[in-house]
Amino acid sequence: MLTSDHPIVVRALHKHYGATPALDDLDLTVGAGEVHGFLGPNGAGKSTTIRILLGLIRATSGSVQVLGRDPWPDPVVTNRDIAYVPGDVSLWPNLTGGEIIDLLLSLRGGGGPGERARLIDAFELDPRRKARTYSKGNRQKVALVAALARPAPLYILDEPTSGLDPVMESVFRAEVRRIRNTGATVLLSSHMLSEVEQLCDRVTVIRAGRVVETGRLDDLLRNAPTVFRVIGVPAEAVIRVPGVTGVHSSGDGIEFAADSSAIPAVLHALHSFNPSSLTATPPALETLFLRHYETARS
Amino acid sequence: MSAHSIPTLHLRRERIILPIWLAGLTLLLTAAGAAISREFGDERERAALAAVAAGNPAFLFLRGLPDGTGVGALVFFQTFAFLAVLIGLMNAFLIVRHTRADEERGRSELLQATPISRTAPLTSALTVALLADLVAAAAVTAAGMLLGFAAWPALLFGLALGCVGLAFAGLSAVAAEVMPTSRSANGLAASLVGVAYITRGIGDALGTADSLDSVSPSWISFLSPIGSAQAAAPFSTATPLPLLVPALLGAAGAAAAVLLRRRRDLGQSLLPDRTGRALWSNADAWRLAIRSQRGVTTGWAIGTAVLGGLAAALAPVVLAAAQANDDLAALIRRLAPGLAVETADLFTVALLGIAGTLATASGVQAVMRLRAEESEGRAELLLPSPLPRSAWMGIQLAVAAGSAIIVALAAGVAAGVGSALVEGTTERLLIPLAAVLVHLPAGAVFLALTAAAFAFVPRLTVALGWGLLVLGLVVGQLGDLIGLPSWLQAASPFHHVPAIPMEALDPAPLLISLAAAALVAGAAVVQLDRRDLVS
Ligand SMILES: Nc1ncnc2c1ncn2[C@@H]1O[C@H](COP(=O)(O)OP(=O)(O)OP(=O)(O)O)[C@@H](O)[C@H]1O
Ligand SMILES: [Mg+2]
Repeated sequence: MLTSDHPIVVRALHKHYGATPALDDLDLTVGAGEVHGFLGPNGAGKSTTIRILLGLIRATSGSVQVLGRDPWPDPVVTNRDIAYVPGDVSLWPNLTGGEIIDLLLSLRGGGGPGERARLIDAFELDPRRKARTYSKGNRQKVALVAALARPAPLYILDEPTSGLDPVMESVFRAEVRRIRNTGATVLLSSHMLSEVEQLCDRVTVIRAGRVVETGRLDDLLRNAPTVFRVIGVPAEAVIRVPGVTGVHSSGDGIEFAADSSAIPAVLHALHSFNPSSLTATPPALETLFLRHYETARS
Repeated sequence: MSAHSIPTLHLRRERIILPIWLAGLTLLLTAAGAAISREFGDERERAALAAVAAGNPAFLFLRGLPDGTGVGALVFFQTFAFLAVLIGLMNAFLIVRHTRADEERGRSELLQATPISRTAPLTSALTVALLADLVAAAAVTAAGMLLGFAAWPALLFGLALGCVGLAFAGLSAVAAEVMPTSRSANGLAASLVGVAYITRGIGDALGTADSLDSVSPSWISFLSPIGSAQAAAPFSTATPLPLLVPALLGAAGAAAAVLLRRRRDLGQSLLPDRTGRALWSNADAWRLAIRSQRGVTTGWAIGTAVLGGLAAALAPVVLAAAQANDDLAALIRRLAPGLAVETADLFTVALLGIAGTLATASGVQAVMRLRAEESEGRAELLLPSPLPRSAWMGIQLAVAAGSAIIVALAAGVAAGVGSALVEGTTERLLIPLAAVLVHLPAGAVFLALTAAAFAFVPRLTVALGWGLLVLGLVVGQLGDLIGLPSWLQAASPFHHVPAIPMEALDPAPLLISLAAAALVAGAAVVQLDRRDLVS
């Protein structure tokens, strides 16, 4: 695979903490210019992967290429071209937000003062307050402004909107669209499915350190099951149709999910029972992903 | 969560640190006691030592008041002030750990949201401190009886130390309410311990001799919880009455802290946060390291400048007393060769030695900031930048060394200028400076060891950093007192620090220390690049 087209290429990545594996044969490929959603239940290994990409921790085995290089031997080189928002933002309590933004920007080589001012304004951040006195959302904004105020080829954002209010979330989404239009690549770890749905071109879902789903978002959605709710029909009508799952009665009707390939057969089966009402809910990211999240618990 | 499960939680978190403190205290006392009864087995020798000490304000300042001529009395005289400082620090750090530090890190917020009272964590921390001080008192009593002291003096010795502990538990609780961060609260609490030690030192040094081997302290000593506790004099008058002073001080501090806590918000301090600059145009990793260290270093430097000034101001008093005691000194030299009695210089050297140790401690603390940045998650913001880890550590080591140098300079300059003013001549202006600066190569070894602990076993940085420093001090400077073999004493870099101006300056051991420090620091830098960031 050409690494120049793929800012992030991860193959057979393993990370063990003692005997327990945090990452277990993980593959991840992020193409140039795409916004790539990185999803998975709590403890799935998203932050662990990201910290390996940044050269903060070392992979137990596997290959990692970030912007064409292995980040571990010399993270300084790759990090020059990465803007990062950590999953847990902690700041220097005795510095002001503005000072912290300037510090982080200057470490990366300085940012445009215009961009900085525009972002502080857009996120409605008071840069004169000591970090100690910031709310969770405001701490998050400091990290966001510092990451966004200097253009980078690659942005790695670990749950960047945790703690942001809905207005600020939309400001953030606008910023991601803006950086995407400049041709930059974004790896976005998130638990906010609506955010992923609106922003991401491709997604990778991981569970227990392994990939369980990856692909273009619209392909995934196209192939995802449609939820049917039908009144006046017994469950036996569809229960044996291949591609139908989760049949159960609800109120005076039944509910089930059907894969896109099974829809003609479903309609055919229902037809002979004369249903009095039928609703079909188009596939939502939520139905698609909740399966992965829920099986994680069993 | 029920109210009594909080002390359980606190005790659980203390199951390693507190036993180490208590065992260390008891061990020091036992070792010193055993060495003293071995080396001063003869009553005449003990009488001579007590007499020298009584006639010498330097001894009185550093160690305290002689309490008679028995073995127990001598042990009490040699160890009490030192153990009092240790138990004071133990209580200070214990209280801050469970109050301000928890609030700062947001741990209290989880607890406080449960149906417990607002002051429950504070009172629980005070309860744990009370328990720890009781255990310390019991352990000291037991150790004393093991050394052959009678029961009542041994008990009084233990109670005196326990009460000093209580006093600082209460005072530190107030410090934790007033200061906004755990670092500043620890700083304030530890400097209160230092002030108590020095106040007692001044009061004792200015005391009046009652007889050849007994001195009544000046009233100044009673201003200090350590001085008051010492006045219980377990081996002479043996009266518990003065212990009321530290005990009441502790109770008053605890009550004040509870009142303050009731009135303030979680996470707030009495010192309000002001807004600051919106811009930092020349921010970089150097300026960050310096800014983070500046306040702490200033605090340490003020402390050592006071020490240096005291050394200068009290030197003539000590000299006069020593000259009046010439015959006695000669007698001692015959009886106990090796016992240093060049008193005025001894006094200056000892105080500047403390300043040198404090300078090292300030540097060690600065190196530990690396670990705080890592464990509190800020390294995760700093390191994914083009800043190499080696530069990050190198900068912090340089700032730590700078801090140690500044703190040492403060003592040396204050002592030099002070003695020039007192004596009206600039002849000896630079001697104190040299006397304190010669500690720094040894100190550098401990800075490097702390950095190595951070690189190799990050989770133990703080424990190893302070632990190795204390070990180096005990082995290198108290080795004689507790009777360690000389090869072991020689292993501590502090053992090779020349006592300027009493000893000549031999550059070899200093250069060896510096080379060892450079080697260890180099290993730390290499290892840091090879390990994971761990929270
Ligand atoms: N230093 C460590 N020592 C031991 N285990 C660790 C360590 N760091 C992470 N883990 C484990 O690795 C696994 C992956 O954690 P990670 O933080 O990557 O999850 P995540 O996907 O980011 O979860 P979340 O959505 O909650 O942020 C978890 O089971 C976690 O307990
Ligand atoms: Mg995470």
